Amino acid sequence: MSQRKMVDARGAFCPGPLMEVIAALKLIDVGDEVEVWSTDQGTTQDLPKWCKKIGHELVETKECDGYWSLVVRKAK
Amino acid sequence: MSGPSLFILLCSGEHEKIQMAAMMASVAAVSDRPVQVFVSMNAMFTFERGADPVGRYQGGRMSKVLLERKAPDAVDLFGQGKMLGEMQVFACSMALDVLGWTLDNLTEDLFDEPMGLTKFLSDAEEGQLITL
Repeated sequence: MSQRKMVDARGAFCPGPLMEVIAALKLIDVGDEVEVWSTDQGTTQDLPKWCKKIGHELVETKECDGYWSLVVRKAK
Repeated sequence: MSGPSLFILLCSGEHEKIQMAAMMASVAAVSDRPVQVFVSMNAMFTFERGADPVGRYQGGRMSKVLLERKAPDAVDLFGQGKMLGEMQVFACSMALDVLGWTLDNLTEDLFDEPMGLTKFLSDAEEGQLITL
């Protein structure tokens, strides 16, 4: 069963949320996930683009109350 | 497969330009684009070891906003990009000479080595060069 690491990047400005996700991905195993919460709207475009480029899987993007939640699964 | 290498020639001491250079370098480095940064001229002073973390940034309107709103610190961003991606940072050997500095006068653990402009420009022919 995959593990999920939480990153609360609410209040962080670009490229902070992206960098925090990348740092978190380095600490988890392939198949595990990082969920990031971000108030930076650019994250909703930046992170999917980065995942596609690098080869990780964007599992979910969700708009919440005042922030966005995105889940990335480490694919390699 | 890596994207084309990004070469950033950073000469300005303006906070806004240093911030943009840091953002470009760190994002490119973590996005599978090797990055080389060449720091020279007034940009050197932002990286002076021991400089005040706020006072080392001189700029205009946007600089004030960046500092008030606590945007990611530019020098720290370079460091993150180096730690998380592929980035090399070089200090202009001419600037070091005229200042009488060595790498020990610059931000710890950020600069790889001094470099001359000729080598940097020659290497930059293989990628995309941006000057700030």
